[in-house]
Amino acid sequence: MKTTETVTASPRPQQAVNLRDCGPEGCDLDWLSSERHPAEIDDVMQFTDFSLQQGWGDGLPVIPPTEGRVRAYLADNNRYPDEVICALPPTNAPCTVEKIAINAVMAGAPPGSLPLIIAALEAMAATDFELFGQNATTAPVVPLTLVNGPVRNRLDIPYRHGCLGGVATIALAIGRAIRLIIRNVAGQVINVTSQSTFGTPGRVAGILFGEWEERSPWAPLAERRGIEGDAVTVFGTMGTMNVLDTTSQTGPEFLEMIGKSLGYPGANGFSPSMPYAEIMVAVNPVWADILHRDLPALQDIQELLWKYSSLDADYLTSKHREQLENLGRVIAGRVYLATEPKDVFVVCCGGTGGLHATGFHSFGTCLAQTRALVPFPQSN
Amino acid sequence: MTIGNVLDPTALRTDDITSPGPDAGHLAGKTVGIRLDEIWRSWDWVAESWAETFRDCGAVVKFWRSSQGRTGSEGERVAKSLEEFLNSIDIAVVGLANCGSCTGWTIHDALAAAAKGLPTTAVCTENFLELGRNLAQRGGRSGLRIHVLPYPLNEKLREEVDAVAHDHLAGMLGTMGADLNTVREAAQ
Repeated sequence: MKTTETVTASPRPQQAVNLRDCGPEGCDLDWLSSERHPAEIDDVMQFTDFSLQQGWGDGLPVIPPTEGRVRAYLADNNRYPDEVICALPPTNAPCTVEKIAINAVMAGAPPGSLPLIIAALEAMAATDFELFGQNATTAPVVPLTLVNGPVRNRLDIPYRHGCLGGVATIALAIGRAIRLIIRNVAGQVINVTSQSTFGTPGRVAGILFGEWEERSPWAPLAERRGIEGDAVTVFGTMGTMNVLDTTSQTGPEFLEMIGKSLGYPGANGFSPSMPYAEIMVAVNPVWADILHRDLPALQDIQELLWKYSSLDADYLTSKHREQLENLGRVIAGRVYLATEPKDVFVVCCGGTGGLHATGFHSFGTCLAQTRALVPFPQSN
Repeated sequence: MTIGNVLDPTALRTDDITSPGPDAGHLAGKTVGIRLDEIWRSWDWVAESWAETFRDCGAVVKFWRSSQGRTGSEGERVAKSLEEFLNSIDIAVVGLANCGSCTGWTIHDALAAAAKGLPTTAVCTENFLELGRNLAQRGGRSGLRIHVLPYPLNEKLREEVDAVAHDHLAGMLGTMGADLNTVREAAQ
C-alpha cells in the first residue's frame, strides 16, 4: 500500500506571480480547509464507488480530488481558496473557491474554466434566479448556461453542430462541475432536498453551450443584456424541445410555426403557480438569416414568438381556464406563455443543416441572469 | 492500490436550532395567521375548517395568500407583504407543502415566521414531509414544527377534504402546542 501521489501541474503563464496559493507542492501555510478522507486515488472506478458511498458522486466516473490535484487547479488560477463566492440554496453554506476547485477536479474540468464556473454560480445565486425553488421542485428544471465572448473558443464551448449534446468537448466536464457543485455544495440531492419526479439528462452534465456569434445576425445575448465580451447567462429551463419545420420559407412563417409549437397547455409558463415566465429559443444560423432578412428588428421577432406561443383560453380545460382567469392571466381570451415580448430570448446556434429550432421553456418565475467572467488576477 | 487523502467536496451549514420554538398556548385573544397559496384549493378548505375552531377558541384569524412570484418587482412586493403579515400575527400556520417548490416556499416562509419568535407550524402532505424536514434543517432550524396531512389531498372532493381537516384538527393543535383544555372548553 502506497501513501504517495504524483501530480503534474499545468504549465503556468510566465507573467503570473502567484502569492495566493503555494502551488501543487503546498507550503507551511495550508490554505485548504476541507476535511481529508483517505481513499483509493489511482483506481478511478474504485474511487467512483467510494464517491457514491459518500454521496459525492453522480454515478459517472469521478477523478479523486487529491490535495495535489486541487492545489494544481488553484495554482493555475491564483485565487484564494477560502474566498467565498456565493451561498447556494437550499444549504446556503459558503461556496468557496476551494469547494468549487474540488468539484471541478472531480468532474475533470480544466483549470481555465474556473472564471466561467464562478460567473455561472454567481448568476445562479442571485435572488431573482430563484435557485431555491428550482432545486426543490418536482419539475425537471435545470439551469442552462449560455456562454458569450471569446471564451467560447478558448474552452471549446460548443455552439455549432450538436451544441446541445453529442459533440465531443471538454465543455461537458465544465457543465458537470457546475452540477456537482449544485449537488455537493448547494445540497440538491434527489429525494432528500429535491422532489424531482422525473428529472432530466441535463441535470448530469448541465446544458452548457455558446452562441454562434460569428454567424448570428444579432448582438450576443449577454451584450443585449448589458455585458459585452466573456459572459454567461443562466436560465432555468425545463429541458430542450425540438421544433422541426421543413415547410416554411419566410421569417413570419417560421416564427408562427415555432411559436405555436412552444405553446402547449402543460408548459410551466401556463401554470397557475407561475405568475410570469420567460422563454428562450435557439434558432439555427440558416433560419436566423431568413428571420433577419424578413424582420430586421429583433423586437419584431420576439413579438411574433410571444404572440404565437399564447393559447386561446378556451383550448384549456374549464378548470384550468378558471384558475388562470382568477389570477387575471386571461387577456382578451388568450393566455401568454411569456409575460411580454421582451421576455422571449432569441439566440443563434446549432448546425448548418438547419430544419430545427430548440425551445427552452422556463421553470417560471426564475429570471435569467447574466454575469461577466472575471479573469484571475495576474499578481497580488 | 494507492491510498491518499482526498478533499471533501461538500459544504454544510453548521448552525442549527433544534428547538420547536414557543408553544401556541391559549388561543383566546391571539391572532392566528394562516398562509395560503395559489395552487392548492384543498389547503384553502382545510384552512377554513381549522379557522372556525381557532375562532371558537377566541382567536382572530388572518389569511395571507402567497404568490410563487418571488422574483423581480413582484418578489419585492410579496416579501414586503409577507413581512407585514408576520408582524400582524401572534401564531403562524404555514402551508401547503404539497409540491417541491411549494414545499421550499412553505418552509422558507415558516422559517421567516419562526425567526420572528412566533409559534410556527408548517403543514406538509405526507409525500413532502421528508423534503420539508430536510429543507428546515438546511435552513438552520431542524426543530421546526411540521404537521402532516395525507397525500394525495388536492385530488379529493370537498367533503373528503373536510373529513381530513376534521380528523387532523386535534393533531394539528397538538403540533402547534395549543392549550387543548381551552380548545375542549370552547367545544362544549
